Amino acid sequence: MRVLLIDDDEDLRNLLSRYIRGQWPDAEIEAYDPLERDLPGIGFPLGNYDVVVLDYMLGRGDGLEWLKALKQRQDCPKVLFLTGAGNEIIAVRAMKAGADDYQRKQELTREKLLTSLRDLTATPVERTVSPDLAARLEGHSLGAKVRIPGIKVLHLIGEGGTARVYLASRETDDEPLVVKILRQEIVLNKKALERFMEEYAMVERLQSRHVARIVGHGNYENHAYLVMEFFEGGDLNRRLAGKAVPPAEALRFFRELMFALGDIHEKGILHRDLKPQNLMFRRDGSLAIVDFGIAKNIAAADRTGHGEILGTPRYMSPEQVQGRALDLRTDIYSAGVLLYQMLTGKHLFDGETAMEVAMHHLNTEPPPLPAHLAQYQRLMEKLVEKDREARFRNADEVIGFLSRKLEQERPAAPLDKTQQLH
Amino acid sequence: MPAMGETDYQVKVAKDLEDLIPVFMKNRHKELDALRVALAAADWEQLRQLGHRMKGVGNSYGFAHVSTIGKYIEDGARSGDRASLQASIIEYGDYLSKVQIAYE
Repeated sequence: MRVLLIDDDEDLRNLLSRYIRGQWPDAEIEAYDPLERDLPGIGFPLGNYDVVVLDYMLGRGDGLEWLKALKQRQDCPKVLFLTGAGNEIIAVRAMKAGADDYQRKQELTREKLLTSLRDLTATPVERTVSPDLAARLEGHSLGAKVRIPGIKVLHLIGEGGTARVYLASRETDDEPLVVKILRQEIVLNKKALERFMEEYAMVERLQSRHVARIVGHGNYENHAYLVMEFFEGGDLNRRLAGKAVPPAEALRFFRELMFALGDIHEKGILHRDLKPQNLMFRRDGSLAIVDFGIAKNIAAADRTGHGEILGTPRYMSPEQVQGRALDLRTDIYSAGVLLYQMLTGKHLFDGETAMEVAMHHLNTEPPPLPAHLAQYQRLMEKLVEKDREARFRNADEVIGFLSRKLEQERPAAPLDKTQQLH
Repeated sequence: MPAMGETDYQVKVAKDLEDLIPVFMKNRHKELDALRVALAAADWEQLRQLGHRMKGVGNSYGFAHVSTIGKYIEDGARSGDRASLQASIIEYGDYLSKVQIAYE
């Protein structure tokens, strides 16, 4: 493995070199400091490298300009471009300029770097031997194939159970977007396909700032797709990172979630799968719900067949575990489980299997909040009541409770203001 | 900027990165000096660049607070908020003097 590593930061060059050598001890790495050297000229042996890792800010140069110049050369190898977090338009421009992959520099871990380099430098044999790699490469080639009017699909950024997720951009102004392409096995499953298309129809109908904005949907050669806004602030899972968030921030997120639930419930929709991965943040810090893949019209929810348990066990309501008819209180319960996690950094219930966790929701009393969070105990109890008749009836009731019981006690807390991401 | 908690001063670094940390810390102290000079000269662009670099490098090594302070410095430089920049730079100096590193 021969790597050309172009970054103006000595510490990052050292770190990335260490990661690469840890995986490929014989790797030849040229650490290229753009503060001391100009853009590699025509005599520079670019073709001798297997891959270039190129930062987007080069101190006295623009990484995008360097990328364009390097990619004009016939001998340019694959390029992994490092971008800033929360500024996806750079990633869009890099991919359009010919980058073969990109990573957000601030979130670049050893594993992400090595996976990316492995993907970019894999030999044909390696591509067939590793199932994970083969699946990712299949995802990449699918993205390159799908044509959506006015939209350029740029790069595979995630894989879920029902769909592959791509960074895309609007051709007119490079606005970053997300394209979800449904997996073929789901397309062939009539019921699952109907769910996916219902997601589009419902979310489009919502027109709420607390719900992901849908830009379009359609089919390309039997590939069903959905185009939606890109969330530069990432999801709640990333924000939590296994830790608690400060109570004021947790309450702010929770209050936004209640507004979101208020909006979707008002339109007669249950989400049924609230979890940290489905709560996204925009650049301005506002929160929106995504993934209505198993959402249902309230009117249709009671038609769910017995034994059909959808949702994520950690956040399921007791009635959901039982496969009973659902109403909007199921989402209130799941939101309560999320609040517990935000406040404590722990799951409400743990278990070795999904079934064990699910059964706790049914039978085990929730643990009390730690002493320093005692002021939220009553709120928590009313959210995660096992008997839904004793639970908050709707999001309005919760918001009212927050206003009366909590905000009055903490007049300085700006719960209703959107804050910048840190 | 939120108040620092005890755990903010404790950093866990992978064992195989241990030999990189002396250079990393030396560069952070040089950065602190550069921040002070830039603030004295009201050089907002230099402050913005330094803050941006801190933001990029801190998390990568596991020093999340370096990234957090870097973000505040970058934002403060953009808005020309001298008081906020000064507070951030003081906090950065305090952080560098107290940070405890565990290798595992």
